Amino acid sequence: MNTRKPPALAVAGTAALVAGSLSPWATFAGYPGKMSLGGFPGGARLFCLLLATGAVLFVLDLGGRRRAALAVGIGAAAVVAVNFAGLMDHGGGIGSVAWGAWLSLAGAGLLTAAAWRLPAGTPAPKEWPVLPVAVEVAAVAAAVLALLGAVVWGLRINESSRFVSFLVFVAFVSVAVHHLGVFEALGVLFARRQRIALVLGGAAAVAFPFTQQGNAYWIRVFASIGVFAVAAIGLNVVVGLAGLLDLGYVAFFGVGAYVGALLSNAALTTVHFHVPFLFVVLLGGCVAAVFGLVIGTPTLRLRGDYLAIVTLGFGEIFRITANNWDGLTRGPNGISGIPDLAAAGFDFGESHALFGVTLPGFANYYFVELVLIAGAILVFTRLNDSRIGRAWVAIREDEVAAAASGIDTIRLKLMAFAIGAFLAGCAGTVNAHVTTQVSPDSYTFLESILLVAAVVLGGMGTVPGALLGSTMLFVLPEKLRSFQDKRLLLFGAALILVMRFRPEGLVPSKRRRRELRERAPEGVPGLPGASGAPPGSPVAG
Amino acid sequence: MPGSTRRRWRGSVIVLLPLLLAAGCGGDEEEGTGGAQATKVVKIGVIAPLSGDLTATGTGIRNSVELAIRQANEKNKVPGWRIELAAEDDAAKPDVGAAAAAKLSSDAAVVGVVGTYNSSVALQTAPVLERANIVQISPANTNDTLTRGQNFKTSPTRPYKNYFRTATLDSLQGGFAADYAYNDLKVKNVAIIHDKKAYGQGLADSFKGQFEKLGGKIIATETINPGDKDFSAVLSKIKPLNPDMLFYGGEYPEASLISNQAKGPQAMKAPLMGGDGIVDATYGKTAGAAANGDYGTSVGAPPEKLDSAKQFLADYKAAGFKDSYSAYGALAYDAANAIINTLPTALGSATAVDDAVRRKVLDAVGKVNFGGASGTVAFDQYGDTVTKALTMYKVEAGVFNPIKTGEFKG
Amino acid sequence: MRQFLQQLVNGTVLGATYGLIALGYTMVYGIIQLINFAHGEVFMVGAFGGLTVYRYWLPDSLASNVWVALPAVLIGAIAVAVGVAVVMERLAYRPLRNAPRLAPLITAIGVSIFLQEAVRLFYPGGKRQQAFPQMISSGTFDVGGVTVPWVSVFVVVVAVALMVGLQVFVKTTKTGKAMRATSQDPESAKLIGIDVDRVIVVTFVLGAALAAVAGVMQGMRFAQIDFRIGFLAGLKAFTAAVLGGIGNIKGAVLGGFLLGIVEALATQYVPHGSSWKDVWAFVVLIGVLVVRPGGLLGERVATRA
Repeated sequence: MNTRKPPALAVAGTAALVAGSLSPWATFAGYPGKMSLGGFPGGARLFCLLLATGAVLFVLDLGGRRRAALAVGIGAAAVVAVNFAGLMDHGGGIGSVAWGAWLSLAGAGLLTAAAWRLPAGTPAPKEWPVLPVAVEVAAVAAAVLALLGAVVWGLRINESSRFVSFLVFVAFVSVAVHHLGVFEALGVLFARRQRIALVLGGAAAVAFPFTQQGNAYWIRVFASIGVFAVAAIGLNVVVGLAGLLDLGYVAFFGVGAYVGALLSNAALTTVHFHVPFLFVVLLGGCVAAVFGLVIGTPTLRLRGDYLAIVTLGFGEIFRITANNWDGLTRGPNGISGIPDLAAAGFDFGESHALFGVTLPGFANYYFVELVLIAGAILVFTRLNDSRIGRAWVAIREDEVAAAASGIDTIRLKLMAFAIGAFLAGCAGTVNAHVTTQVSPDSYTFLESILLVAAVVLGGMGTVPGALLGSTMLFVLPEKLRSFQDKRLLLFGAALILVMRFRPEGLVPSKRRRRELRERAPEGVPGLPGASGAPPGSPVAG
Repeated sequence: MPGSTRRRWRGSVIVLLPLLLAAGCGGDEEEGTGGAQATKVVKIGVIAPLSGDLTATGTGIRNSVELAIRQANEKNKVPGWRIELAAEDDAAKPDVGAAAAAKLSSDAAVVGVVGTYNSSVALQTAPVLERANIVQISPANTNDTLTRGQNFKTSPTRPYKNYFRTATLDSLQGGFAADYAYNDLKVKNVAIIHDKKAYGQGLADSFKGQFEKLGGKIIATETINPGDKDFSAVLSKIKPLNPDMLFYGGEYPEASLISNQAKGPQAMKAPLMGGDGIVDATYGKTAGAAANGDYGTSVGAPPEKLDSAKQFLADYKAAGFKDSYSAYGALAYDAANAIINTLPTALGSATAVDDAVRRKVLDAVGKVNFGGASGTVAFDQYGDTVTKALTMYKVEAGVFNPIKTGEFKG
Repeated sequence: MRQFLQQLVNGTVLGATYGLIALGYTMVYGIIQLINFAHGEVFMVGAFGGLTVYRYWLPDSLASNVWVALPAVLIGAIAVAVGVAVVMERLAYRPLRNAPRLAPLITAIGVSIFLQEAVRLFYPGGKRQQAFPQMISSGTFDVGGVTVPWVSVFVVVVAVALMVGLQVFVKTTKTGKAMRATSQDPESAKLIGIDVDRVIVVTFVLGAALAAVAGVMQGMRFAQIDFRIGFLAGLKAFTAAVLGGIGNIKGAVLGGFLLGIVEALATQYVPHGSSWKDVWAFVVLIGVLVVRPGGLLGERVATRA
């Protein structure tokens, strides 16, 4: 590792960026981050300041540093640009932008130019030495902690301009870190220390509600993400592993939800029959699985997009039936007022204090969902690594060849349908209690599409992909709420952009990546738990 | 490589410097916001459809609440406090509405919520807000069960103690419409179409009950899917039965299509009648000439005719909002003022909004009594408005004109 | 019997719109195996393009003259729809041509949401339904007790003429032959000197133009349009395309008419039919696919993954 004197351009750029970030950006009061005041990096200025630390790349001759440095420079420029737009919108015209912002923009420009002039250098290393266990475990822990920290940090940001700045910041830091080969290294690390990584990841997930200081909003959102994630993992079995495009998958989720609602103590239920909730969850899953078989059986002869439209048709049939079978489902009004779960005197709806932190009722459901997710992950990974999983891949790649080599394609496709439906059904029963109502409106074609989008966005055939995809699809619209009526527009644009730059998804499966890139990275086993590794994590430095 | 190590250390110092700066410099000075303004903030939420089909109506509700808040701040109605608007979109969907309600109830400064537009959404938001003791006043929900429970006809019980509304009930509106159709229009045979939603079906049922009680005949009941555009098949089915009138339970997007297709492509003569869901300026424009002669009931007396509402209309215009105040503007304005009026007492000497303040607001809203834009604003033991005025409108030259205001006595 | 014929007429008119939009789905699918979910939005944008011409560019004196207004509106609609489709293909789909198969599908959904919201937010008054000029007579005539609106006659005639025209184009012209060659095997097509990129653009252009005409016709029939008309119409048209055999032009037309007629008849003859009609449409679809997995006229099932 050689070090060199940093080029003058980079020094000037860093100085300008740092100075600009400590100076006023707004000529008027009231913009998030007290931007009219100087002397401290309030609001989005903090992101610029943090990006300025990337100037270290000009000192250290790391592999892949040119592209990383470019990402830092452009990222800083993008953060300033976002706030230029925000300032002009909030204040009024270019006059509301103070000199600090201009200085930062100039600094970002100089940094980008300096990065451009860096020699291409060596690419990021592919091989990483095996370090002592303690160091590796510490690195995994730091990565998990940084991810949790980034999530909590992001959720705390309420102002739209600052949140968009945060997203830009995270995106460009991720790109920079990616070019330095850190994600690749983390992937290897997580695979090597799989057990500990899973335990730590689980611990971080359990810790999340404790970071919210009794505030129910994000816990509620994450409770919604939880059920969605279980369904997304189920859909991943169908789409990601077996390659069967299902555009009516939300119907299975709906079947589970109606089972959960009808067997609850809701005053409006049309079936007066109560069993313990654990049994309801399994029953919901089984009923959904039966539906999966019913749909799967006649459609097995169909391929590809014909199957897609038939599943779409079944999804619509489910919704319309739920909308019109008043005697069972109460039609479009649905079944509302579904009571909270209660077990052994423990009311899931009440808030409970634990370790000095008040956990709102939704946290209880969140914990239940974590158990479900763990189960779903177990099912998914076990299947993926088994004969069945390999047979699915064979069917996905070439059904004729798979059948010719003795795979019972019909039985295996049915199995994929049933398992996927089972997971969705289980998730549905929990969702009935989380949302306290079920109605046909919640199971439209658009919801099915969103589930498919979650799987594809995250990366087909991987668990972290499904988790990350469903988190994004819930958190982004909630976070974009402050844009009020422009949020769907931005959401549509985000879908297009992510697919444009990461068509294989954010966390692609190694098998697929190998197919796509036509190079087989040796000795890089899967990336469980490495979903969108932490920006600016200590491991990255 | 001792040299390189030392230099790396130097590098990290360069890196750490900005971080130290970031951590070291405080940001606790206050921005000059011009003068000694109130710094304590109390928020009034709005949950309404701000995206999707019903955006126009939802925007009217939000703007009207904003107007009430602006006026209160200008007049310094709540000394020492600045009222802020916290508007959330529900996209007319129950689950989105529930998330919006959760967001508002986790905002410590929110004391009350105006909304929702859809009864189906209110069924979700009311329980969420109830847990946080936040009052909810809807300017537009007309479904009976919201204030009187599932058995509203036989044994009404109030399901949500925090839920109030300035709009009247479907049962009253449907009955009022039936009275008018039978007594004034002398209509005997009616075909009902509804969209099966809480609002549409509730309205259609109450119309049917009263109309049959009076001696009229319902010759057909058809249901449609909201979102459909082509209703020629269902109209062709009804046409040979020769109804004197079509009654539609639902909202204006479908109603205008049905009216247009009934009279145009199907060459039917019967006029269409609906509830407050169809009384919207868009109806007359999009149904075209076919709309003329159609009827719609709406809650409250017409704001344009009401002296109390004239000030609201003038203020709304002066405030310079892009979108119209829409059908529920005056009612939303009154709902917001019902909350605002309780604030001076409820906030009292409090330093911040807390649970006690929210409870005080909740209690006080039940007891308000003032002259609002839509008439007297006060609530009965169920949380329903005491002003039960309803108005029948008729479309003339593409515009809904009020032709009769009254109350339904049952 | 009279009711039956009346519903047959209703269904035929409805099916004509489905068929026209379905052509766009089926052609794009035939060439690049993409379910272009944004195609319904192209139809919607086309209708708004036509409305813009009528509302803002036509002088009042000309607007009442159907021989000027109708062609002007159609040209406006086609221009906007084609423009949007070409940009969409260039910016959103072309970069993804070698991406995993589902990536363009998600992009299509993104484009669909984006276009809907763009119209809702940026078209003047776009949040509400917009009145659409009817231009030709809103009157009707009676044949043996069956009421037929003039506008429906127009819709069916135009739709059938365009469908026949498209068929002739694909069968006889050089570009049409290139399209067929590309749909059968893009690699070989490239080898024999066909500019595949151009063929794909032409496919999008043709599909968009047909959808735009369908958009104008829907506006004329219902006297209104809004930013959401594309979604349901697109869904139904996609169903129609699969019903007839996706990738097959005649199949899309047949599927469209069949779907429209099933919906109309279900409304008439099934109790609560108007609520359940979509169920019957999908039941017919599933029934057909179970018996003929390639759709009604689809002989060839793509073996590529």
